[in-house]
Amino acid sequence: MLNSTIPPLKVDKLSVNRSGRSVLTDVCITINQGEFVGLVGPNGGGKTTFLLTVLGLLKSKGGIIELYGQSNLSNDVLRKVGWVSQEAANISSNIHLTVRELVQLGTLTSSNMFWRFSSEQNDRVNRAIEMAGLAEVQDSNIFHLSGGQRQRAVIARVLASQAEFILLDEPLVGIDRESRNSLLKFLDTLCHEGHKTILMISHDIAAIQQASHRMIFLEERIRYDGESSCFPDMEYLASLRGIQPLHETIHKEDKLYQITNIEDNQ
Amino acid sequence: MSIGSIILNFFSPILEFIAPIVPGEIFPYFFTMELFQRALIASLLVTFVAGFLGRFLMIRNLSLIGDGLAHVSFGGIAVGIVLGSAGPLWFALIFSIVAAVSIYEMQAREILTGDAAIAIFLTGMLALGLVVLRIWGGGIQADIEGYLFGNLLLIDEESFDIICFISIMALFLLNVLKSALLVTSVDPLAARVQGIPVRPLGLIFSIITASVVVSMVQVVGTLLVTALLVTPAATAHLVGTSFRSTLIWTQFFGFMSVILGLYFSAELETGSGSMIALVAALIFVLVAIVQQFARNVISPSENVN
Repeated sequence: MLNSTIPPLKVDKLSVNRSGRSVLTDVCITINQGEFVGLVGPNGGGKTTFLLTVLGLLKSKGGIIELYGQSNLSNDVLRKVGWVSQEAANISSNIHLTVRELVQLGTLTSSNMFWRFSSEQNDRVNRAIEMAGLAEVQDSNIFHLSGGQRQRAVIARVLASQAEFILLDEPLVGIDRESRNSLLKFLDTLCHEGHKTILMISHDIAAIQQASHRMIFLEERIRYDGESSCFPDMEYLASLRGIQPLHETIHKEDKLYQITNIEDNQ
Repeated sequence: MSIGSIILNFFSPILEFIAPIVPGEIFPYFFTMELFQRALIASLLVTFVAGFLGRFLMIRNLSLIGDGLAHVSFGGIAVGIVLGSAGPLWFALIFSIVAAVSIYEMQAREILTGDAAIAIFLTGMLALGLVVLRIWGGGIQADIEGYLFGNLLLIDEESFDIICFISIMALFLLNVLKSALLVTSVDPLAARVQGIPVRPLGLIFSIITASVVVSMVQVVGTLLVTALLVTPAATAHLVGTSFRSTLIWTQFFGFMSVILGLYFSAELETGSGSMIALVAALIFVLVAIVQQFARNVISPSENVN
């Protein structure tokens, strides 16, 4: 029934209030099948609120949210959506879990949670671990992984759930340069070869600009929505956000360090 | 035929078979005399369930809830005794379930954090128990001590029935719910998005916890329930690497604590509950020391602060 022309996400005139303050106003976003969209904006600009509202975890004040053309979040629709929260990779050290055990949790739904893991579920787990490049560490405790590996493990958990539309909240925080680059490459592969639709929140504008097709700048309202390559420069962005220059620009000797070997061949 | 007698009839030939090779003077009675057999089976059964449950309590950061609910049960038992009930454990069960559900609701609605809610119920219900006993209790101190510190020989057929019933139900439910409980403990919001009914599961888990705690009260006593609920799980936490292996280690440490605890309590004529708790704690200390030793000597870390 759900055919590919129906966009994974369609939001129309969405407004959300949190503790009496308006966080999102008249937000309209349509995300199409196969897109890799970067959602950027300042702290408190409503990025996470937007995600939580889309997932039905926060109530909206007004507007329409449609996931795969459906406005009520049935389990069938949610099954196609995978969410990697900001805290997803910070799993309490009280819980001893191996990578495999974590990824297995992704396959649970309300209808299979009482039963043993089926072979079909295990196949999905194997594929997700393989895709995330974690086969070698699948029996290690997630606590012993690097930040980048842990982030890929939580993404693998979502992949095992058969999600087609993946929402990521700040997956680049707390991981080193190499892990970041390989994670971006992994997401790129998911989008182009795995045919997933990706919506990713990040502070790292430079990183997200390289990886995504389209960028949305959100600060209560949408300030920019367009191709990543046309994303405005800092000065224009400041004027969009109503930030006045506080100092006259004095051009002394601008230094641009030549950075060699910028593209790690991973 | 009651569930208790079915279990007793099943295990007593096995226990009698082992009896000749059991060391000690008094300890072998646990394998031959019916009263002691019941005590032994109840202890092992309760430990098995407690290990399972304790692992989940630990990952949900609820280690102290067992202690809280045990004190609530004490309040219930006191009220039951004062009212002249023949089965005060039923009162304990009701009190404990109501408290567990209330604590869960307080947490879910973010009225109070887990610890504070537990503390209020713990002290409030303990105080209720002490006050009613003082006013209407009369001369029933002996029974009370049995509930506070555990007295295996107080486990009569009816209590044994209750313990067996609760244990089997809890084992069944925990086994069926284990994946769902794990996914809600790791990340409740993500579980909700996955379509897992987080809140009903939390309520069922609270009721299971409350019931298991009540079944443990006679074995180790109100004050020492935590010893079986938390200590083996915590020891296992030191050595386990996966969720599965940690569960198996929990069972191993729980089993060792009960067998060694009962052995020493029989031979040294101490209270069984306190000896089990002591042995469980000693095993923890031993494992922790050995582990630290192994970590520092065998594979010293590269960056020592």
